[in-house]
Amino acid sequence: MRDVAYHRPATLAEAQALLARIEGARYVAGGTDAIVRAKSGVERPRALVSLRGVAELGGIEVGEGLRIGATVTLEEIRRHPVVQARHPVLAAALGSMGSVQIRNTATLAGNLCNASPCADGAPPLLVSDARLAISGATGVREVCVGDFFRGPRASCLEPGDVLTGIEIPAPDAETRSIFYKKGRVRMDLALVNYAASVTMDGEICRELRLATGAVAPTPLRLEAAEAELRGQRPTPERIERAAQAAMEAVSPITDLRATAEYRRRLVGVFTRRALEALL
Amino acid sequence: MKQVLTFTLDGAEATTVVSGTELLLDVLRDSLGHLGTKEGCGRGECGACTVLVDGRAVNACLFPALEAEGRDVRTIAGLGVGNVLGPVQQAFVDRGGIQCGFCSPGMILSAHALLATNSEPTDDEIRDALVGNLCRCTGYVQIIESVQAAAAVMGEEQ
Repeated sequence: MRDVAYHRPATLAEAQALLARIEGARYVAGGTDAIVRAKSGVERPRALVSLRGVAELGGIEVGEGLRIGATVTLEEIRRHPVVQARHPVLAAALGSMGSVQIRNTATLAGNLCNASPCADGAPPLLVSDARLAISGATGVREVCVGDFFRGPRASCLEPGDVLTGIEIPAPDAETRSIFYKKGRVRMDLALVNYAASVTMDGEICRELRLATGAVAPTPLRLEAAEAELRGQRPTPERIERAAQAAMEAVSPITDLRATAEYRRRLVGVFTRRALEALL
Repeated sequence: MKQVLTFTLDGAEATTVVSGTELLLDVLRDSLGHLGTKEGCGRGECGACTVLVDGRAVNACLFPALEAEGRDVRTIAGLGVGNVLGPVQQAFVDRGGIQCGFCSPGMILSAHALLATNSEPTDDEIRDALVGNLCRCTGYVQIIESVQAAAAVMGEEQ
């Protein structure tokens, strides 16, 4: 890796000033993507501005929902008692990511900012209606996670923006959720990842959210599939129509990991499996 | 830009000078001569460079050295006392968990971190804890047996 300056600011204001002052500087949190990219020469940052020492970006706050700071590692989030109890879909997704060593270093905010179509952190946040707090030159704003991704490795972040925190509302007591991921081996990027959350009201499906990744330019909600069951009494026919709608909504590619056809089929399988498990 | 880095290395204070984006692995091996920590893939996939920072297993090949400031870093050299191996090391020797030895420092540190929080792991929990450590010799069976044996010895000692 080309040797450049490594800055460790203590405040967000200082970090943003550094990024504005040094042309070609890049933020880094855990660095498990950014440093690999710098080492391989895919990216050539002129300086790295580490967010790890920025106090206001650390910690998990528990209120009505959950606020996860940008520098909290995947493993810290996964082991948090409130995440385990109330957000099992997120805990399951985080547990499927990388190795222990990576999870002890990488952050959920970094996983989102990297904006990979296969980011395992995205589907559970999409089905949880998470909101992202962003601090930039024009002030502070919030976006819902569904509006964050713009394409492979592209997000709504402007130069200098910092994703400061991830806010996850508390799910209803009756809401149940599930996460699936298909990789070739246990530590692998997803061929397809998938999250589902369902809230039943007696025999009627009051609300459901389905989201998937690695099958389109961005992680995405499967809204047409959801519409087949929202407000309905679940039947095998409706579940089948939802699975078909999910397969039609995705636009996977063929690459070294899997073919487009296989990925599309998996989206149907995961939709059926999730709905049969949760409805 | 050179900066002074001070941290605890295997129980003793270490001070060295590092340049901006130098990584902990390079500082350990090149500046401090701690050759027990190995470099395999250099991209966080093989786990040969695993060290413990404040007790947590991380890939030293991706860990900016300056982030180790003031922290407690433990390498394979810090698990024994003098020539007496630690229980996890000894179990790997006894059970054939070591063949060529290149993955062993990382493998043993990952196992050590697991046993520090889970004194009676199942085979599946061991596989999960070691998923980030590749071994090309043993086929992993002896490694899992070694970790089980270490857990038993450490349980008896307590």
